[in-house]
Amino acid sequence: MPVSEVPRLLKRAELYVRQTKYREALVLYDEAIRLEPKNADGWCHRAAAKIEMERYADAVADCDHAILLNQNYADAWSKKGLALYQLGQYVQALAAATRAVALNANDATAWYVKGICLEETGKSEEAEIAYAKSLELEILLDIKDEKNRVRK
Amino acid sequence: MKTNMPLTKPIRKVISDTERLLDTELTLLRKPDAAPGGTLIDVYTYNIDKNIIIFPANYIGLLKDFVIAKQCTHLLVKGAAAKKSGYRVLSYNENSVSTGLRQIYLDALKDEAKKEKKLPVKKLIEMLFILFRQFHEDINELPWNPIVNARIYTRMEQLRKTQLYILLKDGKQDMDEMMDMMDIVPRRYFVLDKSMFYARDLYLAKTLPSDKLMPVINIPQMKKFDHLEVKEMLTTRWTQTAWYQSKVFGDAMLTIMEKHLNVDWGADISLDYYASLYDVGVNLTNALLSYMTMKDWFIWEKPQHLLAAEQQAAVYEKAALKRIFGDLIEDSLV
Repeated sequence: MPVSEVPRLLKRAELYVRQTKYREALVLYDEAIRLEPKNADGWCHRAAAKIEMERYADAVADCDHAILLNQNYADAWSKKGLALYQLGQYVQALAAATRAVALNANDATAWYVKGICLEETGKSEEAEIAYAKSLELEILLDIKDEKNRVRK
Repeated sequence: MKTNMPLTKPIRKVISDTERLLDTELTLLRKPDAAPGGTLIDVYTYNIDKNIIIFPANYIGLLKDFVIAKQCTHLLVKGAAAKKSGYRVLSYNENSVSTGLRQIYLDALKDEAKKEKKLPVKKLIEMLFILFRQFHEDINELPWNPIVNARIYTRMEQLRKTQLYILLKDGKQDMDEMMDMMDIVPRRYFVLDKSMFYARDLYLAKTLPSDKLMPVINIPQMKKFDHLEVKEMLTTRWTQTAWYQSKVFGDAMLTIMEKHLNVDWGADISLDYYASLYDVGVNLTNALLSYMTMKDWFIWEKPQHLLAAEQQAAVYEKAALKRIFGDLIEDSLV
């Protein structure tokens, strides 16, 4: 299969993820990464699928690969934060989530994970600020979804 | 608890308290097409062996937490009732459906007599059971809403902003309900439906407290009267509108709610406490039904009775229409 097939493989894998068919998605991500190991998206999306499959340590490794290829890959930092949180590594998760929101201040999940990690590390006041930011973004998304639903 | 999603400390505590008190296990599920308020599939209502809370996949942070808190509180009320005195829901049978449909029909006739453009008979007959079910659904849910929300507001400070957003959204949605049927539905039922939500929102606006929850915000016709004097409002025949009547009936329902919801919302968690909340909900439901003269429309029964009734709904409707109209009704109409 040629490298030019990678975007199509990633799209198909994403469809599987939406259907919660993570195993099937993983097969396609593996293939995409084999064909184009320097494509950061492949690593990051595979990490997301692995998080859903509760393979958190593997997900961290995939995020690290993506970050190695692109230091400013906000989504990879966000996924890394989430996976580290699930592993109970709150300090490292907090650092990753902080980097994620610095790169993309509109990532509601990263703000939420940052809030939880701050709470876990005893910084309740800072956690409140992160939660507030996360909620603000979630509400904006919800309003947008609602409008789309009405249009349909 | 079965979940792989991040949760705040207070929510994890709510879940573990729920599981401990009810000696049960909770599963959290994300679904893209889930109802915005989430869905609770519980062992007390359905013939299943575990409790499941489903919420929209795009709720990732505090919105998700609020849905979980709300459904856990409701589950505790149901579970405590089941363990203490027995959990019952409002159900219906052939007789009660017949009573309800007859009353709606008589009220519809009164309304139709005043209308220039009459509703076709077939439509009118179809409307009877639709309205009956609408009230059944609303009265089975509405009284529990202020109970659950007042409890969450008092016990979970962290969720207050989220709660306010969700309640604003719910309030608007409930006020918009039935709007497309406003000219078809008999005035009495439109007013009673709106009054229930008006009273609920007014109660929440006072209890939470937040001016943003005042129900008049969601009444479109009120906007016309912005910056007007009361005298001017009266000269525009405002008092004869369904919205004015909803406000008057809603104020009366608020008095009923306040009388029954005289509860210590901050009490420590225990089965006895949640069982007492269930009793409060049942008494409030009965009081609202009495006020709306709908007491004979519904019966308190086990959830299984309601599930069976839902299966028999079409049969009950047909039998009720036969009872009301006798041979006058053609088979094609029923």
